Amino acid sequence: MRYLCWRMVHGLLVLVGVSVLSFVFAALAPGDFLSEMKLDPRISPATVAALRDRYGLDLPLPLKYAQWLRSVRRGELGFSFAYNSPVATLLWPRARNTLLLTVTATTLAWLIAVPLGAWSASHPGRWGDRLCAGVTTALLVVPELVLGLGLLLVAVRTGYFPVGGMMSARFADLGPWGKLKDLALHLFLPASALILLNLPILVRHVRASLIEVLAAPFIQAARARGVPHRRLLFRDALRAAANPLISLVGLSIAALLSGSLVVEALMSWPGIGPLLLGAIAARDLHVLVGTVLCSTLFLLVGNLLADALLYLADPRLRVDQA
Amino acid sequence: MMRQVVERSILRLAGTHVVHGRWGPTPSAFGSGLSLAAARLAALACRGRGRFSRPAGARLRLSAALLAAVLAWAASARTSSAQSAEELLVSRAEIGHQGGQLVVNQRAEPKTLNPITAVDSVSREVIRCTIADLIHINRDTQRTEPALAKAWTVSSDGRRYVLTLRRGLRFSDGHPFDADDVLFSFRVYLDEKVRSPQRDLLIVGGQPIGVRKVDQYAVQFDLAEPYAAAERIFDSVAILPRHLLEQLYTEGRLAETWGLGTAAAQIAGLGPFRFKEYVPGDRIVLERNPYYWKGDRAGNRLPYLDRLAFQFVASEDAQAMRFQTGEADIASRLNAETFSVLAKAEQTRSYKLFDLGPGLDYSFLFFNLNDLDSKALPETSRKQSWFRQVSFRQAVSAAIDREAIVRLVYRGRATPLWGHVPPGNKLWINRSIAQPGRSLERARRLLQTAGFSWKPDGTLVDGRGNAVEFSIVTNAGNGERSQMATIIQDDLKQLGMSVHVVTLELRALLDRLTGTHDYEACVLGLGGGDADPNAELNVWLSSGGTHLWNPEQAQPATPWEAEIDTLMRRQLTTLSNSARKRLYDRVQELVAQNVPFIFLVSPNVLVGAHSGLGNFRPAVLDHHTLWDVEELFWREKRSSATP
Repeated sequence: MRYLCWRMVHGLLVLVGVSVLSFVFAALAPGDFLSEMKLDPRISPATVAALRDRYGLDLPLPLKYAQWLRSVRRGELGFSFAYNSPVATLLWPRARNTLLLTVTATTLAWLIAVPLGAWSASHPGRWGDRLCAGVTTALLVVPELVLGLGLLLVAVRTGYFPVGGMMSARFADLGPWGKLKDLALHLFLPASALILLNLPILVRHVRASLIEVLAAPFIQAARARGVPHRRLLFRDALRAAANPLISLVGLSIAALLSGSLVVEALMSWPGIGPLLLGAIAARDLHVLVGTVLCSTLFLLVGNLLADALLYLADPRLRVDQA
Repeated sequence: MMRQVVERSILRLAGTHVVHGRWGPTPSAFGSGLSLAAARLAALACRGRGRFSRPAGARLRLSAALLAAVLAWAASARTSSAQSAEELLVSRAEIGHQGGQLVVNQRAEPKTLNPITAVDSVSREVIRCTIADLIHINRDTQRTEPALAKAWTVSSDGRRYVLTLRRGLRFSDGHPFDADDVLFSFRVYLDEKVRSPQRDLLIVGGQPIGVRKVDQYAVQFDLAEPYAAAERIFDSVAILPRHLLEQLYTEGRLAETWGLGTAAAQIAGLGPFRFKEYVPGDRIVLERNPYYWKGDRAGNRLPYLDRLAFQFVASEDAQAMRFQTGEADIASRLNAETFSVLAKAEQTRSYKLFDLGPGLDYSFLFFNLNDLDSKALPETSRKQSWFRQVSFRQAVSAAIDREAIVRLVYRGRATPLWGHVPPGNKLWINRSIAQPGRSLERARRLLQTAGFSWKPDGTLVDGRGNAVEFSIVTNAGNGERSQMATIIQDDLKQLGMSVHVVTLELRALLDRLTGTHDYEACVLGLGGGDADPNAELNVWLSSGGTHLWNPEQAQPATPWEAEIDTLMRRQLTTLSNSARKRLYDRVQELVAQNVPFIFLVSPNVLVGAHSGLGNFRPAVLDHHTLWDVEELFWREKRSSATP
């Protein structure tokens, strides 16, 4: 338990560090939220100056940060200049959409990777294993942008899937089943992109750790006693190989989150990716910091979950603590 | 003469007949709500018999019955008055039929639904469909036409406008509209504490315009000095619902109201559509305003469409894909490259593309002519001795191959420019401005007269022997501008100038242009807005914030800038259209002679729509495709979106 507490404190420190850094970097960039307005001939410089004053754009950086911290305490996570509303209300619905996408993709990726890796590990060197190795290598070198564009191309050509968004225009008129189907159809492309991005790493790790375990003497012994192959593979070998894989869960969440930013922006999935991009383009300082913080939080929680799982799965960790 | 303009608009008014009370069930919704309440109370009065004990029961029953009677009377009175006095504007567009949904791509999310504080163009585009103005600029004819004001008169000195409002109109929540709403709206926009960006447009001759109620359906506006085309300032000034906003205004909470999270019932306007639903990050849906004040010749109330959905699609490519697959019904502001890609598939898909020709946007190259501190920016202020010479700027202009820009950057879908009024602005362009073709010969002659010479290796040097070398900045993320800068780089290389192209993120660039003045030359674009010269006042007045080459001057830096100032101020107070045109023609001549902006091209307005869309009449004025959204309709019943 103390272990988990320590991890949480550590996470909190990371969050503070990230917020300070993103504040400083955002402030260092030239131009600010109102710069673009200066190009509008219909708005006078005096109006722009008055708005600068209202948003506190000319305050020194530490004061801006203190202002932001106060609003964090109120649970608002800052105030968006562009949306004229607290950042938390902007973040929450989009974070939910990002979670829907990444959790679906993570779950499916693991559900595919484990049997595929196991099968590959139990037939090392055969043509199937080689094919699997070839495909995963190819996927590993394809950048996420290219993969996303390729999938979009397929969607445009075939017309089987919508080319973006989260629901179709007539979503409100659909029944519960129709809504679910519509959502699944829209989820298909971005989730596939994320799964294809992560699959190679997962499959390779599952295969490697299982091959190691399958060569261990206790497996040979079990096989000699006539334990069926499938049971041996999925019950005994997998459990023994689980340790590095659980650590991988944390890593795979990190990869999915960074990948999802690109995929969301590409396929206009209404998650925090497009919000972040918009905030960078508009120099909407607090939204920028809030979004980065939210991503960091997901990452930390993911890692924490992986640690907790590891703690449960590996008796040695518990013994060390005691 | 102004009198003629007014007469013309009155003639137009005569053409738009006002029809009384033919619009069926919807306007009386408020009335029917009242009658419902009356019926319930009456029922209560009857049922009460068993419920209440005497004598309290009897009293209650009696008062309920009385109240019911009063309500019923009020309801019938309201219904009849609403039906008899509703002065609808009759559209002369093709008669369509009601139903269906239109899906439009929007490059970003709107940030607010508040017409008072919205500053970004995306929010304004959505808000535009939910609001109405007193006098409107027809985007097709580029002239003003009656809107909420059915007629107006102008005093002979051009300083007093009296607007007569349509009677019997209702906001989208059913609440009646009258002069008090107009008064309230202008009080809000003109209030300095509210800081509405609209305020600047409503200041004439340094004074806010005076607003006074004449009667329930007439409002008088007083200007501090005569103001040409004053009726154009009413365009896009949304009339606000006093009944919803007055309290918030007195509490000083107006700026925060009508954010995206607001419940639909708390927002009302006079536009063809009203807010229905916002899905964060994904879409915003507007629904038909059942109280809208336009009808068609067959007696149907506009708009025809039931719903209007804006879906947020950030990249232009993704927008084109959605349009191609039928997930969006209209494509606006296509770039030339996307347009040609979509054109290839036009035969097999069910959409039509339109090239409307040059719009109001214009792009240009300009040099830094600011009064610089020679210590802070020694390099740039040294180079300014070249930039300040008119013949240097003329030479650069002569060396630029505008036809090549049109061909290479815009695939032929743009028009070369030599003045700041593009051919899309039919009413104001000065067609006598010379349009010399590219001539390196002329450029060299101009440079020689200005004291430049060439080294044996072809490098251009100034009188002191310094090689002519400078950088052009432009904004990253606008491919067309950086391509133009590269073509200019190559053109000027042939004169022996060494030019570097630097792309900067837009806000960083604007910071340099208007803040630190740390740049040498820049490629940028302006335009949009209105066709009238007054829309560009801040660009051409030397004191203007968008007088980009040397903004916000205390005194005009050059005689020709002083002359432009005088001309622009004079046209502002000149009421005769032809006299104004003569003054503005002279401004265009001065700008073309002194080339503070070296004009490049005006890109064509490229749009597309699905073939089944009726009354689709795209215009070169902003908003190109949705300006007549109330008249759009689907020719056949169709499911509004494929998968």
